[in-house]
Amino acid sequence: MAHDNKDKDSLKGNSFLLPVGVVSKVDVARLIRDISALDDFLVSSAVREPGTNVKLPKTSRLMDEVFEINKLNPTNKPDRSKLIELLKTVKNDAPQIHISFNLEPSPQFIQRLIKWLRDEMHPLMLLKLGLQPGIGAGAIVRTTNKYFDFSLRERFSASKEILLQKIRLVSIDTASKPKEVPENSIEETRQVNIAETTGV
Amino acid sequence: MGTLELILILGSISASTTAFIWMAMMHSSKPIGKNNTEDLLNERANVDVESIFNDEFREELRNRGRLHFEKIIGENAMFLQQDLRLTTSQLNEYMKTEITNKLREEFAKYEESITDAKQLAVDSITKTQDAIEEQRRMMSQQIQQEIAKERQRIITRFEDNMADIINHYVLEAIGDQIDLNDQLEFILSDLEQNKEAMIRDIKSGA
Repeated sequence: MAHDNKDKDSLKGNSFLLPVGVVSKVDVARLIRDISALDDFLVSSAVREPGTNVKLPKTSRLMDEVFEINKLNPTNKPDRSKLIELLKTVKNDAPQIHISFNLEPSPQFIQRLIKWLRDEMHPLMLLKLGLQPGIGAGAIVRTTNKYFDFSLRERFSASKEILLQKIRLVSIDTASKPKEVPENSIEETRQVNIAETTGV
Repeated sequence: MGTLELILILGSISASTTAFIWMAMMHSSKPIGKNNTEDLLNERANVDVESIFNDEFREELRNRGRLHFEKIIGENAMFLQQDLRLTTSQLNEYMKTEITNKLREEFAKYEESITDAKQLAVDSITKTQDAIEEQRRMMSQQIQQEIAKERQRIITRFEDNMADIINHYVLEAIGDQIDLNDQLEFILSDLEQNKEAMIRDIKSGA
């Protein structure tokens, strides 16, 4: 329990850092799973007999990066344990923001966005991405209790009065102009009148 | 009428009696001349006197009285009939005049009542027409206002729908054509403008 409080304090103190590749809670969970697998392997390898056939655990670039930026040694058991606990705390307590786009964002886009969020709002900010094709462009942001619509659809709705003014202007111009009757229709009308008069 | 007839009968009887008595007195008052003649005359007078009041004479007098009485009665009846006719005529004339006047007055009153009722009805009809006209004018204005409101509502709805259609068309047309990387600066700008509100909400928690 005291350990958990210490981890939360470390989160509040912003001493723990997340790489920009860790975006969502899914990524944090994957990191926890990978580090736990590494920890289990290293613990079991210490008591395993030499020469036995073992399967090495998979390590990822994100795991290396999180050890590196937090200046922790993956072969050191206390560092691994500490990192697992910190990641669990991040997974449970780190702030999360939900952003929806009309298209699937690229990894570079997500990294630039998460970097800005962590620089400007919170260093452990996690992101949950959504997809809303109807918004046209922009994004819809949802925090814990608030909803921010930065989409093109919302901008169009806000600017609807301008569009209506333009439509009215076009309608007035169209109504004020005399209708131009095509020459062919006049000729057809004339032929019909002649046919009606002559009874043909 | 009975009293008058009785008086007349008694009067005629007493007159006849008085006349005979007077004649007898006149004969008795003449000077005694020739005796035989006088005696004859006296005898004849006595006979006449006796004959005057005999049954025949009385019957004759009775007949005369009856005739006279009948004549008088006839004359009186005639007078009475004339008076009665005159009275009846006057009464008819009076009744006619009175009834005519009364009817004229009643007709005048009736005509006045009818005139008043007619005027009242005309006033009522006029008021009703005025009220109907006012009501029609108010309803016309109300209908005009409702029509104007409905037209404005239809126009507004049409414009809204038109704007929605245009927005939807534009979003559908260009939505996929804008790269997200190009939008990043705008998105970050919007986030920057609302950063404080987001941070407050994140810090306040659930």
